[in-house]
Amino acid sequence: MAILSVENLHFSYTTGQDILKGITLQFDRRPTAIIGQNGAGKTTFAKLLKGLLKPLHGDVYVKGVNTKETTAAQLARQIGLVFQNPHDQIFKSKVIDEVMFGPLNLKQEKETARANAIEALHMVGMENKLDKNPYDLGLSEQKLICIASVLAMQPEIVIFDEPTIAQDYPARERIKEIIQHLRQKGKLVLTITHDMDFAAAVFERTIVFAQGRVLLDGTTREVFAERELLKHAHVEPPHVTQLGQKLGCRETFLTAEEWIRYKRRKS
Amino acid sequence: MKTVKSMSLYVPGNSIIHRLEPITKLIYVMVAGVLPFILPANPTAVLCLAVTLAMLTISKTLTKVIPLTGFTLLVLLSILFIQGLFHEHNQTFLFRFGPFVFFKEGLSYAARISLRVINLLLGISLLSLTTKPSDLIDSLVRRGLSPKIGYVLSSVLQIIPQMAASVNAITDAQRARGLETEGPLIVRAKAFLPLIGPVIMSSLIQARERAMALEVRGFNANRRKTFLRAANQSSRQTTIRILLILILFAAIVWRIFA
Ligand SMILES: Nc1ncnc2c1ncn2[C@@H]1O[C@H](COP(=O)(O)OP(=O)(O)O)[C@@H](O)[C@H]1O
Ligand SMILES: [Mg+2]
Repeated sequence: MAILSVENLHFSYTTGQDILKGITLQFDRRPTAIIGQNGAGKTTFAKLLKGLLKPLHGDVYVKGVNTKETTAAQLARQIGLVFQNPHDQIFKSKVIDEVMFGPLNLKQEKETARANAIEALHMVGMENKLDKNPYDLGLSEQKLICIASVLAMQPEIVIFDEPTIAQDYPARERIKEIIQHLRQKGKLVLTITHDMDFAAAVFERTIVFAQGRVLLDGTTREVFAERELLKHAHVEPPHVTQLGQKLGCRETFLTAEEWIRYKRRKS
Repeated sequence: MKTVKSMSLYVPGNSIIHRLEPITKLIYVMVAGVLPFILPANPTAVLCLAVTLAMLTISKTLTKVIPLTGFTLLVLLSILFIQGLFHEHNQTFLFRFGPFVFFKEGLSYAARISLRVINLLLGISLLSLTTKPSDLIDSLVRRGLSPKIGYVLSSVLQIIPQMAASVNAITDAQRARGLETEGPLIVRAKAFLPLIGPVIMSSLIQARERAMALEVRGFNANRRKTFLRAANQSSRQTTIRILLILILFAAIVWRIFA
């Protein structure tokens, strides 16, 4: 059984304007990127998976449980969502309280919750900021705190909404490490992103949304090889992929390292 | 991007009434609201009401009035009922309805109040349904209202939808991390408490950001402000306004000398 599955999902905020128009997807444990144009409905999709929104038609199953038959709070044990904008997520005035909020809601003992929170803060490298006010920290640090507050609940599925937006280079690298770490622990990592270099470098599977439907779904390499279809979805493959394509190579390159290896082999 | 629900009652449209200058409409509402207190109440109120209803029909907002005024109508009905039965000067028997005996004096007293209130209420509805709040404030500032007061007025109009949006965002963040906010009243009440602090906090942050944005754009500069929108000052509008004010003036004169 798929850990997360979506069947014929339809959704609209206002009647008559469908944002999602019949999406069917099964997720296994492969790290997966969801890409698509601005306004394609990616954030909406994440909120539907998380149970924050309920389908208009169709169903979402989280580990076999239909999201219509439970509450977002109940699902929090299974599935965590790191919001795109830290301001939409942070509401406590101390880092440690923010990160302990989830574990406490899961009815963990205070000491256990604190231990889990500190472990999560370690994972994101913020363990020395426990008593700081999140509002006084920079955007990168706020993002890492948001990630920690989700990881502290130890969900099996973690969704990141645009994790690299407005992040500096070290934070980006840190986020990559966190995702690799989660994958090693056997968790499903789903990431919504605009950042094609990031998608190409980190994820095995890539899904492309366009006009409320799934346009492409496959291994990241297969997906980025589809130049014409991607153009249709207004998505630009990573520059190194385009370079390879424009030079007429038959292989599809996802990272600079792959390109360099190819070049060495040729010469 | 979040779509912030607008708190205004404005119904977009392009009727003659929509296109009237906000100030013209404001003057109309004031004149129509005051006239029944100066001239013989009932006929005047009925006349004003008829004009307002006609304008509501022209602007296609008549159906929107019902939810706006429903509650007040209920209150007025109960006034009619109570005064019809128990008014202190009740003498003239009018009719019997089951066990209730209605008297003329009470009913006409209640009718007079009701007509005036409905008249005023529909006038205000007309103004709010066909005028964007920001346009009204803009016009007032043009007529000499201090831009700072104008800004405060429009902030007040914006702050409630803004707070509603941040309540939504924070509720989502809390539900996402296991706080139960759905279900019976007691559960929702418990979830309300942890909301208050963050909502105030985020409103303050937004206020600070807005203040800075205004500052860098020279809001406090000591110069006369200019306007982005051109004024819609046709001579017709001026005529209407003068006419309205003349009517009011005539009514006052009549009241004093008649
Ligand atoms: N709360 C909301 N109410 C109404 N419309 C919304 C809301 N949130 C998003 N939308 C609309 O839904 C569409 C998809 O938005 P979103 O899921 O945020 O797209 P993406 O994350 O792919 O950029 C957009 O057109 C957006 O304006
Ligand atoms: Mg988004």
